Amino acid sequence: MRYYHKKAGMIPLVLIAAVVLSSCSTASSGAAASSGTGSSEVTVTDGSTGTSEEDPRSEDAVNSAVNFDHELDQYEPKKDHYNFYFTYKIVHPWWDAVALGMEDAQRKFLDKGITITYEYMAPEAASAEDQTKRLLEVRDRDFDVIGVDVADEEVISPVLDEMVDSGIKVMTFSSSDAAEGCKRIAYVGNTHNYQDGADLTEALCEKLGYKGKVAILVGSKGAPCHEDRARGAKDTIAKYSDMTIVATEYDMDSVDMAYDLTKKILADTPDLDGIICCNMSNPVGAARAVTETGSDTVIVGMDHDQEALHYLKDGIIYCLGVQDCYSIGFDTLQNAVKIADGNKPGELFQEKTDEITTVIYQEDAAIMLELLYGDN
Amino acid sequence: MKKQITRKTFILTAVVGGIILMTAVILNTVFTSIQTVNATNEAVAEVSSFYLEAMADRRAKTITNLINNNFDQMKKAVDFINNEPIGSDEELRTAIGSLKSLLSLDRFALVDTDNIVYTQYTTYTGGSRHAFLSNDTMDKRYISTVSIYGSSKQLCLAAPTPDLVIAGKQYKASFVQIDVKEIVDLLAFEDEGRTYFGLYSKNGENLSGTKLGDFISGHNLLDTVKKVIPEESWNEHCDNFSNGVEGSITYTVNGSDETLCYVPVEGTDWMMVVLICDSVIQNRIRSISEHSLLLSRRQVAFILILSLILLFILLTMMKTLSERDLAAEKENTKTFRNMANTDSMTGVRNKHAYSDAEALLNQRIRENDIDKLGVIVCDINGLKLVNDTLGHAAGDKLIKDACALICEHFTHGAVYRIGGDEFVVILQEKGYDTMLEELDMVNREIEENIKKNEVVVSIGYSTLTPEDQMVHDVFERADQMMYKRKKQLKQMGAPTRPDSPQA
Repeated sequence: MRYYHKKAGMIPLVLIAAVVLSSCSTASSGAAASSGTGSSEVTVTDGSTGTSEEDPRSEDAVNSAVNFDHELDQYEPKKDHYNFYFTYKIVHPWWDAVALGMEDAQRKFLDKGITITYEYMAPEAASAEDQTKRLLEVRDRDFDVIGVDVADEEVISPVLDEMVDSGIKVMTFSSSDAAEGCKRIAYVGNTHNYQDGADLTEALCEKLGYKGKVAILVGSKGAPCHEDRARGAKDTIAKYSDMTIVATEYDMDSVDMAYDLTKKILADTPDLDGIICCNMSNPVGAARAVTETGSDTVIVGMDHDQEALHYLKDGIIYCLGVQDCYSIGFDTLQNAVKIADGNKPGELFQEKTDEITTVIYQEDAAIMLELLYGDN
Repeated sequence: MKKQITRKTFILTAVVGGIILMTAVILNTVFTSIQTVNATNEAVAEVSSFYLEAMADRRAKTITNLINNNFDQMKKAVDFINNEPIGSDEELRTAIGSLKSLLSLDRFALVDTDNIVYTQYTTYTGGSRHAFLSNDTMDKRYISTVSIYGSSKQLCLAAPTPDLVIAGKQYKASFVQIDVKEIVDLLAFEDEGRTYFGLYSKNGENLSGTKLGDFISGHNLLDTVKKVIPEESWNEHCDNFSNGVEGSITYTVNGSDETLCYVPVEGTDWMMVVLICDSVIQNRIRSISEHSLLLSRRQVAFILILSLILLFILLTMMKTLSERDLAAEKENTKTFRNMANTDSMTGVRNKHAYSDAEALLNQRIRENDIDKLGVIVCDINGLKLVNDTLGHAAGDKLIKDACALICEHFTHGAVYRIGGDEFVVILQEKGYDTMLEELDMVNREIEENIKKNEVVVSIGYSTLTPEDQMVHDVFERADQMMYKRKKQLKQMGAPTRPDSPQA
């Protein structure tokens, strides 16, 4: 996780956002081109928290938290038409952001005369069974590559192995990789979910003075990314004897459920000091509940939901870990083309890319809203 | 007591009156100019506002037409697809791609009842991505602004497709997404730099990404103008934005006037906003007004200078005339004084002049300021006889001859005719010093005149003594001596009046 701490104002950055984005993305793209992997360098902080000294690179870092300025690398596809299938955990704005990166790559391939068609499908509710069913349905269709955002690594990994064994080119992408040892060809996405959870929790602990009662909200049960973050959170809390976890709840990627769960937790523990949110829906629901009840509970959470960013801007949410979904989508499609051509991880692309996560605070919210949503 | 009007009062009144008059003219001109400029500005503001409103309205209609046109094209596309024998997703993609190009539809897509979106290149589950899919069913058109992750904003136009069935699958909607940047290009102004426009949401958020001048720029319009307009007015504009009511805002930033007009874009939540910075019209008319004002000021200055020059000339002339009048008056006074002190027949001083001289000499005697003073008393012998026998003309001639004789000898003295045949000569300084010598000479000439039967004058004289209190004392002694001399001359044959007791 790239973990920068900024307490100074970010407003001037709006003016130089384009320049910064350009320079950062150029560097990133350059690295991707040279390595042929499309991965981004990961910067992990020393784990210090939001009150640490200002990092002079931080302003640039917020602007480059999401890289919208991608170019395809030098790889020359072998065909002029590819057809992919991607399935992800749940219909949710987080994956809509990933989709936009994929569409950007698709347009850029089209500009090179290469047509890419694909399906990008998910259920309304996260379900390993639903994902299994989808994979079984498409395995006999003529897709060049099948990409999977693993809903449950224990359930899905064997399915993927079977598909690979039958000659289907399978990759994993976005938030969750398959289990260790799975035969999938490559993974594009976040590889540091545990650390993301740990870093957010560390920030919360410092904010609370390393004592108090906290609750953990998780997304879908079995979703590797969510579970990893929850583990990271729990392990971090365990380091501090004056901190206790009073509840751990799953909202199944539903904002409404996150809201209900938070209200219940607050009712059960009125003196709750903090909430650790492990997915995108968690912080939105938690912030709604905290606002409604007038609680001063400190919220830390994941992702870039527009409403969550507004809560961050208003000081309801303390910090958010923002993943570069756009780059995940772009790199996924680019690597899918290479995999479709029969390439294996190595010089052309990494077996496991590592997209960045940037922790942002209240003073960063405005520029992030502008950056992601043009919300001025 | 009635105050007398003096020349100075008259000039002062003229000058002060002139200044007051000129000041009144200047103030009136300035006031009129200011009034004209203000009236012009108000008129220009109204015209500018009308102009802006027309521009905003025209562009809002352009967007409305664009929306309607896209809905029409979408309907044609859906009708076409509905009549095509499409049997697979691949064929559907091909058809969508063809229609997109044919009908110029941006991101044209269909949505089935499972909220799966079908575009030319992708098929995806779109429940969370498209707001219009939040309802299970769709029974009307849906227009929304989509804030795409990555800053790009799009106008989404969705229409229900209740009759669309492809390969046995029911479709609930079709939609297009138009990039706001493309709409912006469609509306672009030619006079960029002076006139700006932008599309805004109900809360003042900039949707078009266009800069609305340097002040509002790309910021939230309502938040920004709040700094420069009264709160009451700001609340009114917020309500207008919220309720889709048109209006206009004028404010001043850094000394520059800016006027913006906003009109709602029909069918959307958008506000089309047009702004003019330092309106060309306003600048032009202001320039004309300022030019007129400058001309007026120059005219006033010219009139003022001209008046001052004229006033100066008049005052100079008046001064010259006054000096001339004064000189003439002095001359007249002198003439009158001469006439009063001169004997008209002989041209020497008369008795009046003698009285004045006597008074002055008496003053000096009293002040002991004089030590040389001689008085000569002269009397013409036989004047009456000449008048009676030869007429007054001969008598006058005799007087003139006597006077000439006296003046000829006493050139350093003052000669006075104090009676018909009596003269007095006052001698001081040099005349005093030569008095006796001259007396001797004149007496000899008189004695000669007796023989030639010419003018005979009896002369007596005396000088100032320390005992004398006044000139008259000296005169008395001279007069007595003159009478003695008259007797001497009679004896010498000088003529005398016939009935004179001395005769």
